[in-house]
Amino acid sequence: MGKIDSCVEMYGVSKSFGEVRALGAVDFEAAKGEIHALLGENGAGKTTLMNILSGLYRMDEGQIAIDGREVDIHSPQDAIAVGVGMVHQHVELIGNFTALENILLGREGSRWRLDVEARRSSVEELAANYGLSIPLDEGVKTLPAGIQQKVEILKALYHGADILILDEPTTMLTPHEVDGLFSILKSFAKGGLTVVFITHKIQEVLDNCDRITVFRGGRKIDTIPRREATRDRLVQMMMGERGMPPEGERPAGPSAAREGEPALSVRGVRTSGKWGVPLAGVAFDVPRGLIVGMAGISGNGQKELAEAVAGLIEVEEGEVHIDGEEVSNLSVAGRIARGMSLLPQDRIEEGILPGLSLAENFVLGLHPHIFRRRGVFEREAAHELGRNAIAEFNILARNEHVPAAHLSGGNIQKTIVARAVMLAQETGGKVMIANNPTRGLDVMAASFVHGRLRELRAGGAGVLLISEDLDELCLMSDRIVVIYAGEILGAFDGPEYDIYRIGALMAGQREEVS
Amino acid sequence: MAAGVSERKKMAMEFAVTYAAAGALALACGAVFIVAFGGDVLVALGTVLRSSLGTWGGFAQTLNKFCPLLLASLAVAFGMRGGHFNIGVDGQIYAGAIGMTGTAFALEGMNLPWPVFVPLGLLGGILGGWFWGFIPGILRVRFQVSEIFVTVMLNFVALYLVDYLANGPWNDPLAGEAISLPIPDASVLPQVMPRAGAHAGFLIALAAAVGMYFFMTRTIAGYEIRAVGDNPRAARFGGINVARVTLIIMPTCGALSGLAGAIEVSGFHQSLLLGISGAEGAPNYGAMAILIAVIGRNNPLGVTIAAAVFAVLVSGSDSLQRSIGLPGAAVFVFQAIIVLTVVFVQARRSVRAG
Repeated sequence: MGKIDSCVEMYGVSKSFGEVRALGAVDFEAAKGEIHALLGENGAGKTTLMNILSGLYRMDEGQIAIDGREVDIHSPQDAIAVGVGMVHQHVELIGNFTALENILLGREGSRWRLDVEARRSSVEELAANYGLSIPLDEGVKTLPAGIQQKVEILKALYHGADILILDEPTTMLTPHEVDGLFSILKSFAKGGLTVVFITHKIQEVLDNCDRITVFRGGRKIDTIPRREATRDRLVQMMMGERGMPPEGERPAGPSAAREGEPALSVRGVRTSGKWGVPLAGVAFDVPRGLIVGMAGISGNGQKELAEAVAGLIEVEEGEVHIDGEEVSNLSVAGRIARGMSLLPQDRIEEGILPGLSLAENFVLGLHPHIFRRRGVFEREAAHELGRNAIAEFNILARNEHVPAAHLSGGNIQKTIVARAVMLAQETGGKVMIANNPTRGLDVMAASFVHGRLRELRAGGAGVLLISEDLDELCLMSDRIVVIYAGEILGAFDGPEYDIYRIGALMAGQREEVS
Repeated sequence: MAAGVSERKKMAMEFAVTYAAAGALALACGAVFIVAFGGDVLVALGTVLRSSLGTWGGFAQTLNKFCPLLLASLAVAFGMRGGHFNIGVDGQIYAGAIGMTGTAFALEGMNLPWPVFVPLGLLGGILGGWFWGFIPGILRVRFQVSEIFVTVMLNFVALYLVDYLANGPWNDPLAGEAISLPIPDASVLPQVMPRAGAHAGFLIALAAAVGMYFFMTRTIAGYEIRAVGDNPRAARFGGINVARVTLIIMPTCGALSGLAGAIEVSGFHQSLLLGISGAEGAPNYGAMAILIAVIGRNNPLGVTIAAAVFAVLVSGSDSLQRSIGLPGAAVFVFQAIIVLTVVFVQARRSVRAG
């Protein structure tokens, strides 16, 4: 390939947050007309580096050159002035504005005049040039995630970006939308744009990129062209000496279900809109000894379903049964006592007591069950349980007395998983509801969570695994149900799945399901 | 990551530095004031300390102030630990004073001996305060009404209720002012230093602080309160009934304040009157209690120490005027500066901690 015509060059970039070194003297370059992947685990430094390039963070040390000219980037405005535009992982549009108004935001007209209409034609022309079809006059919040992302991309292009950065662009998309996104990005690159996309999914990288830069622990490991990349080599670069965690047992499919009443039976559950997305008569079973995955794009009622099953929100109509017993009118504590445990979606807001000690966090939910004297909080018993849990679940903490807030994200999630597993042991563990239990975790921590869920399944519990990551669901589930707009649109028996059919249901396209 | 031993030492050091800095800054500002008023700093300081701690009479007054300050501060701290901001302490003190006085009048004819009568009277005060805390608690649980609004409103209700009782049905016609008839002798809290004039209230307040410590750390209810105060959502996910916890917290805050009001009647004023919550010319106990709870970080031991310091300042403030002509309220300027410094340093720390 001769000498590469570098368009972005970053030298010796370092960045620390407090005492944590997020990036240590990283060099990076991307060429005109290529799709360049930044690959690495969570916390490897890839997003931090791009946030520096797009002006969101300031680097502590280092230099940036665009098209061979050194530039100072101190703000997103500086970045866009030199042609750098970034599309963030979570959509950052104004929901009540139309697509057109969002695209023009910041460039609405001269200083005093709002001049949206006059610029419509230029936006339309740009969209046509890049093959982006967007309903410009619709309110953004009504558009599906894939379209919202296109609005963001078009906005960056309209503002003059010829270096387009996308942070984990596929997490919110269905498989069809993912394919669509990459074909657009490929046409961009052919047209001379530079596309940098951040991901932790190896398959995406292998399918779509020209070159790949791998990060690990705040350092750049290497940049290699696609033809030199193999799955094994990328894994080795990402994970280093640790290697990949063992894959774990594959799911067996629904035939592995144990006899008897289902662990969890959700029967025609409806909830009111005041709790969020209303559930419109959701019905499914989680048999004993199975993991049932729930696929769906974020915000289609998964959270409300988990909370309705757990007893956190009111069920207007329908019933919830645990192990054959109706629990619809029981409190959360009553359901816990009957064998339910819960891994909440938001581990910081819903999972931990940040100011309380680790030991006091472990006993949350267990506390009505483990103390022998009524009403007494037996500190020694709590501390012993904390010490054992730290050892057994391999939690990185000095001791059981440290406040939970001092732990890293991965160890906080381990703490919550440890608590749920201990709760299952204590109460007989009938059903586990895991809502996005591995989001934001690195591969090792995610593998730990998966291992524990499989153990619960092996122990005869029914596991409801709610996830936005279809790969995870396919890897773990004996059966997958798809939720869309508060309804179950279909169910698929594993262990092999057709992700395109699942994806179509996730997007709300109803079909006849066998 | 994990807090190491050295880290804990560092935190303890920072803690000490915070409070030393706050004290020094307050003293420095106070010195500027005193000099501006043409006084001598050392004389002023000596006067405050001598009059509040240096004589038996002064010491007794300090103890008598310490009691309501500590109980009121515990009431605030108890609420804060559970995530509720109780600014209704004054109303709850009045409600407790009414409960005490009413019980004393109701049982007057029964000739009870004081070891029975005094506890019954105090219980009446505790119940009065409990009820005054139950109202915001139940409104919060049933209708999601902010306890801040309700407690502020109830302060006025209690105040005017005292005004009515002291002027109306319970009025002492001989006094010629808004004050009730004296309570029966057998319902008066005994003195522990009779000559100096210190009643037994401070012992009860200290017992309440110890009780709160054990309640918070050694009971399931205390654990649930701390869990709800730390993160109510996570507590709910853990099966804790947040509504039930709220209905423990708010009435208990009221009961602690009510006890303060009952002791003020039973031990100090021996009748019901306006101005029970706070010394003349000073902020109300309820306002000071919030400051004390902040300085003491809602921890019973910290609150006890902070309440003691405030008691010394309050009790010494009168003498400041007598000795160097500085308004007694100047002491409250010192208090405010201490609080602001502590709050400022804490805020900076939490910003740095992210």
